[in-house]
Amino acid sequence: MELMAWTEPRQFEKKTILTRPGEVEECMYFITSGLVRKYFLKKDQEIITHIVKEGGILGSGESFLTGEPSKYFVETLEPTVAFSISRNKLEDMYKSSKKWEKLGRVITTQYFLVQEMRLMDNIRYSTRERFVKFMNDNTDLLQRVPQKYLASYLNIKPETFSRLKHLMNPK
Amino acid sequence: MTNLIDINPSLIEYAHRYLQRFMAITVDELKALLSYCEIRQFEKRTVIVKEGEVDNYLNMVVKGLVMKYVRVKKSDMILQLATEGHVIHSEISFLTRTPSLVFVETLEPTIMVSLTYDKMEEALDKFPQGERLGRLILTGMYVKKEESRYHRLLKSARERFLDYLNAHPHMLQRVPQKYLASYLNIKPETFSRMKHLVAKQ
Repeated sequence: MELMAWTEPRQFEKKTILTRPGEVEECMYFITSGLVRKYFLKKDQEIITHIVKEGGILGSGESFLTGEPSKYFVETLEPTVAFSISRNKLEDMYKSSKKWEKLGRVITTQYFLVQEMRLMDNIRYSTRERFVKFMNDNTDLLQRVPQKYLASYLNIKPETFSRLKHLMNPK
Repeated sequence: MTNLIDINPSLIEYAHRYLQRFMAITVDELKALLSYCEIRQFEKRTVIVKEGEVDNYLNMVVKGLVMKYVRVKKSDMILQLATEGHVIHSEISFLTRTPSLVFVETLEPTIMVSLTYDKMEEALDKFPQGERLGRLILTGMYVKKEESRYHRLLKSARERFLDYLNAHPHMLQRVPQKYLASYLNIKPETFSRMKHLVAKQ
């Protein structure tokens, strides 16, 4: 069976909440266009842990993988088109062939590595270095994402973020 | 193989308990898996992996204590403290075959069961359900990292201190305080002040 046959095409308006804290995450989303964020609330403050654009995968990963209730919100920031795969379908897919099982292992490894490398970047680089690195890799996001979200994602104070903007390469 | 098990009877127990978290596995299957592994022994304070080296091993601690740390501007930041039954190595280096960003060092005399990258590839391919087990172990590692990140972002220093020492009370005896403080991302002075919170019951 083809890979796509396990997935379902989905379309969301912007500002659609896909998952709320307390719900079990049923799907992971392969984003083909649009933008999605994942965040949790610390008292009243939103702490953004992921901002994912087209080409990326997002969902409340731990909840999806463990079946425990999500601690996070998952929300679209733009109109978003995605392919989703449910936990049941994913299990069926893994069982159907060793090839898909292997793909699952490789994607899980990649997902783990991305997160681990981000953690290392946060430790090894200064605020300024993190800002420059992220913004050079994701120039488009400054137009697409409210600054306060980017600041939260990079764990930089909003005031500091504004001050750092002059560091960006002029077009 | 029998020799490996004779060295330390805990080996089978820890490895079995670890793998049972991911899938049902018989002792025979476990022994087949362990045949891909080797036993390694180190004195205390042995640096097993240096920054800049490719880490060729995935290790489970059978006896002892191992830490992983990153050197940032001459000061070391502890990322992991692994005791009996825990898995530790330089994950990024091992999985991507690139120079390690971190150090791995023993704090106590340590015995561990280790799998090289090549043997892991072989086991993934040849061991029945190897791919599944590999995926589930990676999933477990991912979930654990996410939880610890969430915990770090959400909890105060005091909460991190209490949660950790209530869950791992013996670590105060086994690990120098400055390392525990670094691991919990708490200033050493603050850590000392908080010690009365876990006074002997």
